[in-house]
Amino acid sequence: MSGDANPAAVPKPMEDVQGDDRWMSQHTRFVQECKDAEPDVLFVGDSMVQLMQQYDIWRELFSPLHALSFGIGGDTTCNVLWRLQNGELKNIRPKVVVLWVGTNNHEHTAEQVAGGVMAIAQLLASRLAKAKIIVLGLLPRGERPNPLREKNAAVNTFLRSWLQAVHSDGTISIQHMFDFLHLTPPGYRIVAKPLLELLLQILEETPEERRASLV
Amino acid sequence: MSAEEPNPAATPTPCGDIHGDGRWMSMHERFVSDGKGKEPEVVFIGDSLVQLLHQFGIWRELFSPLHSLNFGIGGDATQHVLWRLSNGELDNISPKVIILWVGTNNHGHTAEQICGGIMAIVQVIKNKLPQAHTLVLGILPRGKMPNPLREKNARVNKLVQEALSSLPYASFLNIDPGFVLSNGSISHQDMYDYLHLTPKGYQAVCEPLHSHIKFLLEKRSEN
Ligand SMILES: [Ca+2]
Repeated sequence: MSGDANPAAVPKPMEDVQGDDRWMSQHTRFVQECKDAEPDVLFVGDSMVQLMQQYDIWRELFSPLHALSFGIGGDTTCNVLWRLQNGELKNIRPKVVVLWVGTNNHEHTAEQVAGGVMAIAQLLASRLAKAKIIVLGLLPRGERPNPLREKNAAVNTFLRSWLQAVHSDGTISIQHMFDFLHLTPPGYRIVAKPLLELLLQILEETPEERRASLV
Repeated sequence: MSAEEPNPAATPTPCGDIHGDGRWMSMHERFVSDGKGKEPEVVFIGDSLVQLLHQFGIWRELFSPLHSLNFGIGGDATQHVLWRLSNGELDNISPKVIILWVGTNNHGHTAEQICGGIMAIVQVIKNKLPQAHTLVLGILPRGKMPNPLREKNARVNKLVQEALSSLPYASFLNIDPGFVLSNGSISHQDMYDYLHLTPKGYQAVCEPLHSHIKFLLEKRSEN
């Protein structure tokens, strides 16, 4: 990356364009949850993270790991950065953070988006010195090949080259996306299987072994 | 609004593909082809509140057995639904009941305009499916705390209810079970982002809705 400031790595709250203040209400709730819970696993990101918590798979596979979910639909890397810098990491010491964001960064190039994800990962690493960070690769989107698919694939390529370990996102396809973006319950099952294995592995590992990986 | 001024909420408009992945049109085309070969009795049409319902167990439990199709697209406003229904989504089917749930995404439109948009959709359905009954669901309150959008949505409901009362082929159903608590807040246990429903929220909405649809289906088969 060049020395120019990356717009995808600039913390920004979501603007309340609709006028019901829902974004800030959710952020405030997450900050409150930090005071009340002691999560071992923290999920952070956009609607991909948020929606998973509404499906059975969350209670079945992830709740038992003492997981919290801080997902807000529509969030970009900028919005997640702002949230994490403004209270969502206070008072908690998760062992693993799962980060899944970037598909909403419509105004940014692939390299900028990947840089934004890395900025979040670095913030997490500095605030949670003992936590391991799992970055989930962006999924393809749209029914047919389109520029956003190419861009998301390029984001993943950057992330893979910058992060140590690499995991495949497997066989997830648009067949598992009810609107060619968001996952159906069976789609989440496909994502969850390798993720759960990795989480269980990390939770049992000694702390020094791995800091960040891309699934 | 003067009579000559076109109502943007009642002007059929395809959703612009601002992000460049063509998802909206893909979904519309899927709905058009979904109708072929299927003989739905009930069709749900609207925005994300309709769309997400399809992803939860309650859909298979309550609505699949009634032979329902789901034509919901996240983010849709009345003018988008109007375009979809005017462009093929009703052309291959003859359902008995249409459930219409839309209006909360009409940002920038007045309550009067949104009501006009909903009534325009009801009219298109009447033209395409003269035998069907349209059930318009009241739009829900939103936002964790009281805010202008809650007031606007409530006013839309009042206007739509009045406008539908004289029509024999359509009716209004307020399906809000009381999501606004006594302190004025909405719980994330009901609406996880203070707009979209959790499985628990859908449960509260869908059980009375299911009874009402069954009542409409039975009433129709008596006639
Ligand atoms: Ca009526």
